[in-house]
Amino acid sequence: MNGPRTGSGFRSSRIWIVAAREFRQTVLTKGFIFGAIIFPLLMFAVIAAIPFLISSTPVPVSGTLLVADEDGSIAAAMQKAFDDYKANGSQPAPGSFEDAIATRPTGPEGDLAGNFEDAPISVEVIIERVPLDSDLSSARQLVQSGERLGLVEVPAALLAADPPRDLDISLLVPSDSPAKTTALFSRIARRSTVVARVERNGSDLLSAQALVREPKTETARLTTNGDEAKELLELRFLLPGGFMMLMWIAAFTSANQLLTTTIEEKSSKVIEVLLSATSPLELLAGKIVGQGLVSLLMLSTYGAAGMAGLAFMTMLDIIAPTTILLFVLWFLLAYFMSASIMAAVGSAVSDLREAQSLIQPAMMAFMIPLLLWMPITENPTGWLATITSFIPPIGPFIMVLRTTGAIEPIPNWQIGLALLVNGVSTVGLVWLASRVFRIGVLMQGKPPNPLELLRWARTR
Amino acid sequence: MTESNEPAVVLRGVVKRFGAVDAVKNLDLNVPRGSLVGLLGPNGAGKSTAIRMIMSLIRPDRGELLVFGGDALDAKDRIGYLPEERGVYRRMRVGEFLIYLGRLKGLPRHGLSARVEGWLERIELPGVFRSRCQELSKGMQQKVQFIGAVLHSPDLIVLDEPFSGLDPVNTRVLISAVQDLHKEGRTLFLSTHQMTQAEQLCERVILINRGEKILDASTREVTERFSPRAIEIEPLVRSDDDQDILAAIEGVESVRLSDDRRSIVMTIAPDHDLQLVMTQALTQVPARRTEISRVSLDDVFVRLVTEHGGHSRVPIRGAA
Repeated sequence: MNGPRTGSGFRSSRIWIVAAREFRQTVLTKGFIFGAIIFPLLMFAVIAAIPFLISSTPVPVSGTLLVADEDGSIAAAMQKAFDDYKANGSQPAPGSFEDAIATRPTGPEGDLAGNFEDAPISVEVIIERVPLDSDLSSARQLVQSGERLGLVEVPAALLAADPPRDLDISLLVPSDSPAKTTALFSRIARRSTVVARVERNGSDLLSAQALVREPKTETARLTTNGDEAKELLELRFLLPGGFMMLMWIAAFTSANQLLTTTIEEKSSKVIEVLLSATSPLELLAGKIVGQGLVSLLMLSTYGAAGMAGLAFMTMLDIIAPTTILLFVLWFLLAYFMSASIMAAVGSAVSDLREAQSLIQPAMMAFMIPLLLWMPITENPTGWLATITSFIPPIGPFIMVLRTTGAIEPIPNWQIGLALLVNGVSTVGLVWLASRVFRIGVLMQGKPPNPLELLRWARTR
Repeated sequence: MTESNEPAVVLRGVVKRFGAVDAVKNLDLNVPRGSLVGLLGPNGAGKSTAIRMIMSLIRPDRGELLVFGGDALDAKDRIGYLPEERGVYRRMRVGEFLIYLGRLKGLPRHGLSARVEGWLERIELPGVFRSRCQELSKGMQQKVQFIGAVLHSPDLIVLDEPFSGLDPVNTRVLISAVQDLHKEGRTLFLSTHQMTQAEQLCERVILINRGEKILDASTREVTERFSPRAIEIEPLVRSDDDQDILAAIEGVESVRLSDDRRSIVMTIAPDHDLQLVMTQALTQVPARRTEISRVSLDDVFVRLVTEHGGHSRVPIRGAA
């Protein structure tokens, strides 16, 4: 005997043999290995490597920059900025004045010298002033030939107390000037113009910066039991969505594979050979378990990549172990529901085209959680979230959105009831699918309509 | 009755309907252990439906069906099955596919590869163990499936149209394998509408038409029962009197020329001995060749099916 019997002709060992074949035949394909394992890992590796790649590419800047201004104040400010930059290196950097004044100044000239995180590492720039009213054509030629790093032309009106809004600084650089270099010149020219303007109008830059600096806010949510939960706005929306999408993709990739393999076995007529060795229920169970293992492998791969990403950003603590445990439970319920539907449909049709019309209603139902992502995440304890948690087959998806996104814990009774309702529905769907499957796999000819499928389920 | 004495398959009053069509009507069958029985019938007669019920793929609507004295479902591992509609996993390797089927039939993993290799050699498919099924010809795939049916050394082997679509060489290979399995004492139950193979292989034939059994007898009984009781004689020297001389022999009912007009065919009355009449004929008309005409299963098939209302209406589709 092969294994323990759990009913007439039902042996668990056969289920594992079928499951092992399903798993191997799906996983050991180039498509799966590349699409489900190598590609996500590669993506993660590339994303993780980008900062290193960028920061490890030094772009030295060395030479003379021409500055045409009214009285030399801007040229002087720019020379100081370049000197400070050379002395201090790159610091957290604003690209605009508004950003600059929101940062604590590092000296009398504030953050002028720093805050250029993606700027060139090695900077050795000498400023050569050119009178604004002189003929700039020779200066332009020097830039064009590459003998000078560039030409900055600052109109005199920009130093006025109320400069015109439509007047710009002109920056001319050689055609092969690196983007990082031109960005650095642009920023330093803008900031130096502001420094010169402030000084010309008799104000103190440090005081001005301090006066207009906006303080930051740190939001916390006060839960019903009095605890303060730190608000991470981006993660509050992204984390539940990420978990749900992960679950959706893993469940439906495998369920879809189940549909395809069932149709293939039926159309290639191999199904009758299999049914001479196993019962339809054993075959169905084996196929569902096998593809379930495939989806768990996918889930683990993507999940591990995501967790590694969070660990990389030192944010691993935002996911509690119970959240992961519950996620696996919700995933299993979602997978078994979708797999049952796909297997039943696959058994009843002869090709994928015929399957489309039968799958469509179910797929529309499974799309609902995607539409409810934002409203549920916005209010995970509201009436919409609560009610939809108990509606199969979308319940498990909704619960994932709720449990991973809620600041306040979801009441235990709701988790328990959702597990019960969706669990019972899953068992019911698997049973219905097995009833349809045992008849469908031997049927040929015109595909049935949904009513006929129900009639099959009632057939003795 | 002990298990060893029980027939391999018993059907009593089995009925199966698909919608308005009676696929099988009150079918009684008895396939003794160790026998080689042929289930014959025209297309759509109900052969595959009967076999699918024996394989417990579908359940009878009425009647009793026993395999080795019990439920067919409990005997799955003791049955090997080659279905009419052939199928393999196209992208799977031959060895892997057969090992999978063997495992499903309860064979241990250890030693299974060697067993598969042995069978591939035996039915003249060496070197395909690592080939993908889709790389094989249709006939080779059919032989692979045959191995799938017999790999686990089943007590009962059910073959649905095992020779259809095979070339003469491969047909001979499979016939030889079937005969070997029979010699080993296994019960073989095969369905076919190719009478030549049935005649060559089976010791008993069951003919069904429109879901009903119309003949159930040993091959010898069929030959005797449906014998035309005729002697064909080809005279050494042709003479116009030959027919009159032969017609005058006692027991000869009628005399006629054969279709090719080279022989004379004598029909013998039922109460006369064929050997005696043949001896008398030879003494009166010296012959180049003489033989007692034999009935072929083909003739019996056509005659009985015609008598019972011709072919079935349509092949049965589906199996609900």
